[in-house]
Amino acid sequence: MRKYCIFLLVVAILISLPGCYRLRSSKGGGEISTVNQRTLNASDVALPPGYKIELVASGFTFPSAVAFDAQGQLHVIETGYSYGEVWGEPKLIRIDAQGKQTVVAKGARNGPWTGITFHNGSFYVAEGGQAEGGKILRISTTGEIKSIIDNLPSVGDHHTNGPVIRDGYVYFGQGTATNSAVVGGDNAQFGWLLRKPDFHDIPCADITLTGQNYESENVLTPDANDKATTGAYSAFGKSTTAGEVIKGALPCTGAVMRVPLEGGKPELVAWGFRNPFGLAFSADGKLYVTENGYDDRGSRPVWGTGDVLWEVRQGMWYGWPDFSAGKPIRSDEEFKVPSRSPVKPVLQNYPNTPPAPVAIFGVHSSSNGLDFSTNNSFGYQGQAFVAQFGDMSPGVGKVLRPVGFKIVRVDVSNGVIRDFAVNRGKRNGPASWLGHGGLERPVSVKFDPSGQVLYVVDFGIMKMTDKGPQPQTGTGVIWKITREGI
Amino acid sequence: MKTIVGLACMILSVFLFVVVIQSCASRKAEAIKGKQFVPANARVANGERMYMMHCDKCHPGGEAGLGPAINSNPAPQFIKRFQMRHGLGVMPAFKKNEISKKDLRDISKFLRAWKHY
Repeated sequence: MRKYCIFLLVVAILISLPGCYRLRSSKGGGEISTVNQRTLNASDVALPPGYKIELVASGFTFPSAVAFDAQGQLHVIETGYSYGEVWGEPKLIRIDAQGKQTVVAKGARNGPWTGITFHNGSFYVAEGGQAEGGKILRISTTGEIKSIIDNLPSVGDHHTNGPVIRDGYVYFGQGTATNSAVVGGDNAQFGWLLRKPDFHDIPCADITLTGQNYESENVLTPDANDKATTGAYSAFGKSTTAGEVIKGALPCTGAVMRVPLEGGKPELVAWGFRNPFGLAFSADGKLYVTENGYDDRGSRPVWGTGDVLWEVRQGMWYGWPDFSAGKPIRSDEEFKVPSRSPVKPVLQNYPNTPPAPVAIFGVHSSSNGLDFSTNNSFGYQGQAFVAQFGDMSPGVGKVLRPVGFKIVRVDVSNGVIRDFAVNRGKRNGPASWLGHGGLERPVSVKFDPSGQVLYVVDFGIMKMTDKGPQPQTGTGVIWKITREGI
Repeated sequence: MKTIVGLACMILSVFLFVVVIQSCASRKAEAIKGKQFVPANARVANGERMYMMHCDKCHPGGEAGLGPAINSNPAPQFIKRFQMRHGLGVMPAFKKNEISKKDLRDISKFLRAWKHY
């Protein structure tokens, strides 16, 4: 009997130790003390046998993506804006074979420049548009900038992303204004609600609301006791009613759209994404997108939602703001913030049942830029490589250990994710958290034109505080990964 | 009295043992281990797919993330299956319509293989 009791006790302890979630503090990768200078050491990064990583260039301020011109020269863009309300000048920078950096073009104070591609002699850049709305820019190799579409609804939490080009169209992602369709105090913390108090999410087609409203502090008035009631797809402080129809419009938020290369009106490709950040076509012509999942923040927080890799199908709705990775979030304990009520739906009916995801990444991993391996001499041909920026806890919600801060590969045929480039150490985390010289916050990846070299764009150090992100200028890095012996 | 002290010591020992185990490195990534993980059979491969679909987002690669590490959790597989089916604390329960009995066992097979590859 005594042995039986001890056994039960041991079992209870074993299973209850991980259960004390509420008592444990957040230990996100950005929850670090200030790091004055970034050290760089490629040997602190672990790769599968046969691969090596090297430093290409450093000292960038918020780099987000790379592309190659017709001569195969490497070009980097710096965003010119970062969460934390740090504004700068977006730049297109050429890096020659000797590592010399030349600024090709400078953008307006309307960052972040989130993505770049090269096509038929020109660069195409997604301008995030935090100040005056998103744009797709065409930039010549000598630096002339022309906008092919502007006024995209991009002044909220998430921006204009991409772009990729296929069949005469520029495909791009447009993130949502909010975490889960309801404007709240979290958007004031981001900074934009005070600048654009009427901004909110825009559906791509007509939707009917359930009339769920959310009370929050009225952050637009100085009275701390003043309350605001806000419904979905509505400006801050505007409530909604059951059965209320919100008219769809283009451009919309939370969508993948496309525009002809010569410019024109946007066309809808697919919608119902939260933040469709990375776009890439696979060798067989399918379009894939990474989506950043919900956060545990704001008036309608959602818990435990992973980032997602989707195959994009024409006209399909992918579930935001009532589904996560194809699963309904309503009344499901899986998505309920601990100690709070279950999440209620804001849509009365749905355009379609969301499809199944290709893969589900770590919660708060911020799985961003992706590219496909097309050359078997690099290996893993046909698999997607995804850069994980890493958690922004505690602002996005609590994590027990750093999530992301690495490069993963995805077998898109079965959804299996494996780490590809990770920092060495007893635990996973950014170099600043681990105290060494490896990866910090990988934000995108891109194969060179030969498909034999994988370039990794490392945004640099971003410390997370109670007051929000504190990104550190001049700490961005470009790495490259090759397979040895080829 | 002697029995109570003995029992208390045993509990404390077990507690410390578990804490030590849980603080040990739980990393199983191919890059860290320096070798590739290849599922030994179809059940393990299916278990990995099911793990990716239902578990990996909170325990990426079996490491801690939103949830605690699984790789270093010494609880036997039947306890883990019980926890998956019934939930515990903030971990949700996965009913049979979400994870079938066979798939649940396959996840166990994968976790065992992943832990020891």
